[in-house]
Amino acid sequence: MSIATTLGHAGRIARRELRGGLGAFRIFLLCLALGVMAIAAVGTVRASIEDGLEREGAVILGGDAEMRFTYRFASEEEYAWMRGAADRVSEIADFRSMVVVTRDGAEERGLTQLKAVDTVYPLEGEVGLDPPMPLHEALKGSAQYPGVVIHSVLVDRLGLDVGEVVRFGTKDFVLSAVLVDEPDASSAGFALGPRSIVFREDLRDSGLLTPGTLFESHYRLDFPDGTDLETMRREAVGLFRNAGMRWTDARNGAPGVQEFVERIGAFLVLVGLAGLAVGGVGISASVRAYLGGKTATIATLRTLGADRSTIFATYLIQIAVLTAIGVTAGVILGAAVPLALSPIIEASLPVPIALSVQWAALAEAAFYGTLTALIFALWPLARTEDVRAATLFRDGGRGGAFLPRARYLVVIAALTAALVGLAAWLSGIPTLALWSAAGIAGALAVLVLASMALRAAARYAARKGVGRGRPALRWALAAIGGPREEAASVILSLGLGLTVLAAVGQIDRNLRNAIQSDLPDVAPSYFFVDIQNDQLPGFLDRLENDPQVSQVETAPMLRGVITQINGQPAREVAGDHWVIQGDRGITYSATKPDNVDMADGEWWPEDYSGPPLVSFAAEEAAEMGIGIGDRITLNILGRDIAAEISSLRVVDFSNAGIGFILSMNPSALAGAPHTHIATVYASEQSEAQILRDLASAYPNITAIRVRDAIDNVARILGGLAAATSWGAGATLLTGFIVLIGAAAAGERARVYEAAVLKTLGASRGRILGSFALRSVLLGGAAGLVALAAGAAGGWGVLTYVMESDFSLVWGSALTIILGGITATLVAGLWFAWRPLAARPARVLRSAD
Amino acid sequence: MADPILSLRDARLTLDGNAGPVDILHGITMDVTRGETLGLIGPSGSGKSSLLMLMGGLERATGGEVKALGADLTAMDEDQLARFRRDHMGVVFQSFHLIPTMTALENVATPLELAGHRDAFDRAAAELQAVGLGHRADHYPSQMSGGEQQRVALARAAAPRPDLLLADEPTGNLDGSNGEAIMELLFGLRDRHGATLVLVTHAPELAKRCDRVVRLRDGRVDSEEAALRAAE
Repeated sequence: MSIATTLGHAGRIARRELRGGLGAFRIFLLCLALGVMAIAAVGTVRASIEDGLEREGAVILGGDAEMRFTYRFASEEEYAWMRGAADRVSEIADFRSMVVVTRDGAEERGLTQLKAVDTVYPLEGEVGLDPPMPLHEALKGSAQYPGVVIHSVLVDRLGLDVGEVVRFGTKDFVLSAVLVDEPDASSAGFALGPRSIVFREDLRDSGLLTPGTLFESHYRLDFPDGTDLETMRREAVGLFRNAGMRWTDARNGAPGVQEFVERIGAFLVLVGLAGLAVGGVGISASVRAYLGGKTATIATLRTLGADRSTIFATYLIQIAVLTAIGVTAGVILGAAVPLALSPIIEASLPVPIALSVQWAALAEAAFYGTLTALIFALWPLARTEDVRAATLFRDGGRGGAFLPRARYLVVIAALTAALVGLAAWLSGIPTLALWSAAGIAGALAVLVLASMALRAAARYAARKGVGRGRPALRWALAAIGGPREEAASVILSLGLGLTVLAAVGQIDRNLRNAIQSDLPDVAPSYFFVDIQNDQLPGFLDRLENDPQVSQVETAPMLRGVITQINGQPAREVAGDHWVIQGDRGITYSATKPDNVDMADGEWWPEDYSGPPLVSFAAEEAAEMGIGIGDRITLNILGRDIAAEISSLRVVDFSNAGIGFILSMNPSALAGAPHTHIATVYASEQSEAQILRDLASAYPNITAIRVRDAIDNVARILGGLAAATSWGAGATLLTGFIVLIGAAAAGERARVYEAAVLKTLGASRGRILGSFALRSVLLGGAAGLVALAAGAAGGWGVLTYVMESDFSLVWGSALTIILGGITATLVAGLWFAWRPLAARPARVLRSAD
Repeated sequence: MADPILSLRDARLTLDGNAGPVDILHGITMDVTRGETLGLIGPSGSGKSSLLMLMGGLERATGGEVKALGADLTAMDEDQLARFRRDHMGVVFQSFHLIPTMTALENVATPLELAGHRDAFDRAAAELQAVGLGHRADHYPSQMSGGEQQRVALARAAAPRPDLLLADEPTGNLDGSNGEAIMELLFGLRDRHGATLVLVTHAPELAKRCDRVVRLRDGRVDSEEAALRAAE
C-alpha cells in the first residue's frame, strides 16, 4: 500500500475517532498548553525587555555612547577626541561616599553612590524629582548651600526632609528634592548605596575626589545624526583601549542589565523545559491510557485488514492534531498573559519594557512543545503495533516488549537531540542548557528507577508479611507493588518539580546561611576606603588603642586594568575571565605580609628596585592559563606598566577580608597617587562609635558596613531564588496536573477495588484509610527521592560551581517531603469519594 | 418449614435510568431455608442477578423487606452491610472480580483479614490448595486463566466459612470443562461447609443440581420448581 493510501485511510479513521471529542485528552492538552505557555510567557517578557533596552538605549546610557575611565578623568588627548567626534560631551564622576546629617548634636550616616555631574547632564531623558523641578535648578541649591538630590530609599532611611542640610566630606549641601527617577540608572554597575547627585564643581572644597580616590569617570557623548556607532567604537577602542578606556554605546545601553535579563530569561526557559518534561510524563500517560482503551478498536481494525502502518498513522495523526491544539492554546496564552498583565509587569521592572507579541519567542515555545509532545507520545504510540487481532478473542494480557522497535527509539533519540540542541543554541548559554538537559534526563531516570525500586520494596514487604493483619496497609502495599503503574505516575509527575524545588531550596538556604550566619563571624565589621596617606597614622591610632577592636588590616590600593598578557590583548589569552573584565584592585608590599601563603615562587627582596614584578593569585592564574614568568601589562591611571609574574599566592576571598589578585613591588608603583583600604574587626556594639569617630575625623573616608553589604547580597540572592522558585512552582503545578490526571485515570480502578472490598466486608473508613495510606506512602516516597536528587544537585552546584560548603537544610527538606505527601493526598482523596459512594452491585455488574 | 436464612417480603427494586425510573423487581416474596441450594433461573433481564444482589445487600431494595439471618438488610447502612457480608456471606461473580493489584493468596486472605483472623494467610493458602491452586499463590489475576481466576474467587468466597454462598452465573465466562470443574468445586465447598447456596444460572443442568429452582420473568417469580434434585 502506498504512503498516500495509508495516510488517506489513517486520516479518515482518525477523523472518525476524534469525533468522540477531546475529553480523554484533557490532561494531554493541559500539560502541553501549560508548559508551552510558561516558556512563551518568559520568552515574551525577555524579548520585550530587550526591545525596551534597545529602543531606550540612549536614554538608559545617558547618551549615544559612553567612554569610561577608572580612577582618573580623561586625558587631554582623549577629551579632544570626544570634543571632535561629538556635538555634546557630558562628564560625570561616580564614587562611593558617606552622607551625614546632624540632628540635635548627633550624627547619622548613610553610604551613598555619589554622582558628580556637569551642567549638561543628562544628555538624554529626564531626572525625576519630588517635588518636580528641573535637576539643574535643584542642584543650584539655596543662597547658602549648593543643592543635592538623594534617592528616596536613603531619604527614608535617614528620615530626611526636603530643605534639610546634609554633609558630603567636609561640605554642606541642602536637600533640594528627592530623587525618584534616574534615567541612566540601569547602565550603572553594582552599587552598595543609593544614589545622590550633586554638581561636580560643588565638590571642589569637600575633601572628596582627591588624588587616589576610588572613582570612575563617565563621558557621555551625543553624536551628530547619522553617525555610525560601530565606526566610532572602533576608532575610540583602537586609540584608547590600552589606556584603560571602556566603551558602551546606545546599541546596548545597559550591557549588565541586558546580560542579566538574557541569563535569567534563558535560565527560566530551561526551568520551563523541566516543566515541559513533567508535562511530557502526563502526555505519555494520557496517550497510553487512551490507546489502552482503544485496544479493542485497534484489534477490530486489524481484523478488518488494517496493517501496522495504517494503525500507527491513524493514532499519530490524532496526536499531531492534539499537539497542534495544545501548542496553539499555549502560545496564545503565553502571548496574552504578559500583555494582560503588562501594567503590573511594567511597573515592577526597573528597566524599560515594550510588551508586545514576540513571534520569535512564541515560535521557540511552540517548537519545544511540539518536540516534547512527539518525544513522549511516540513510545506509547509505537505499542499500537503490538496489538493483534487475536486480542479480541483472548485477553492480550500485559505481554509485549518493554522497549518499542529500534526505529522508534532512533526517532525518539533524534527528536530529543533536536530539542536539546535547539535549547542549547537559543538559550545562549549552551553549557548550562546541556547540563540542565542532562540534569532533567538524569532526574527522570532516577525517578523511574526509584519508582521501580519502590514497587519492588512494596512487593518484598508484602511477601515478608508486612501489613498482614492490618488490611489497610496491606492493600496500600499491594496497590503500590502490584501490576498497575500508579507508583511510576505519581513519582514521575511530582518528583521532577519537587527535585528542582529541593535543589533551589538547599542552594538558597545554604548560601544564605553561609553569607548571613557564617560570614559575619569571620568577616570584618567595616571596610574603609579612600584613606589618604597622611590620614593613615591617625586612623590606625584610633583603632589600635580600642580594646573592642580585635584586628585591623590595611593595604595601599590602586586600581588598574589588565590590558595585555605576554604582549597579546588580554582577551585573546584569558577569554572572558572575570579578572580581565574590568578594573581590579592592586596593592604593593616590600615584604611578604604575614597572612599570605605562597603557592609558588618567592617574594621579591625587601630592597628590590628592578623591573616591575607582580605576585598573582594562584587560582585565578591557573584559570587564566598564566603562571610564573608570564608578563602582564597593567594600565593604571592611564599609564601602562608591564610586570613579570614572579610568584603565585593563595588568596582567600571567602572571609571577606582584604584580598588582592595583584600585588606589586613598591618601586613599580612609585609616584602613583593612591589611598589605603582598611578592614576593621570589632565587636558589634562598638561599631557605631568607631564609625562616628573616624567619619568625624576623616570626612572623606567612606565606611562600608559589612553587615549591610551582606544583607544587600542576601537580598539579591533571595530575588534570584524567588524567580527560580516561581519557575519550579510552574513545574510543580504541571506535575500536580499530571498527578490529578493519574488519580483521575486510576479512579475507575479504585471504584472497582472499593466495590470488591465492600463485597468482602470492608467498611468505607477502612477503604478510605487504605487510599490515604497509599497516597501518603507514594507522596512521601516521591518527596524523599526528590529530596535526595535535589540535595545531590544542590551539593554539586555548591561544591563545584560556588565552591561553598553544603549541609542538608532540614526545614527545606521537610517542606519538600510534606509537599509531596500533601499533593498526593489531596489528589488521591479528591478521587476517593466516588469509589466510596458507589454501590458495589452496580459497579461489579457494569464490569461484567 | 425451618427458620429461613433469607426472607424477602414484597421486595422491589427500581433504578433511575436515562429515560426515567426502571422497575427491575416487582414485589418478590420468598424464603430460603438454611442449608438449602436454590437456583435462580430465567431469561436475560428477568432480574435474577438483581435479586441475588438484594440478597447480598449489594443493592438496596427500594421497597419491601429483605432479611438475612433475621437481620433487616434494608435498614443497614453501607458499612453495616459490609460487616454483615464479612461475617456471614461469600459472593462469587461471573467475572470473578479479583483485585488486580493483589496476588491470588492476598485476594483469598482479604476477607479473613477483614474478619480479624490472625491466621488469615495460612487459611488462605489452605483454601487455595483445596481448589488446586497452591502453586499459583503468588500470581496476579492477570497472570491466570479465567478458570483459575474463578477458582481463586471460589476460594475467597468460601474461606471465611460463610453461612450463605451467593453465586452469580459463576460459569458464565468459562468454557464447558472449566465450567464443570468450577461447579464441582462450588457444590463440593457447599457440601463440605454446609453453607446455604443461592445460584444464578442459565444452565439447566446446573439448576437440576439445586434443591429448589425459582424462575423469574420480568422481575417477578414466574414459577417455582421444588426439590428437583430430590425428585431425580
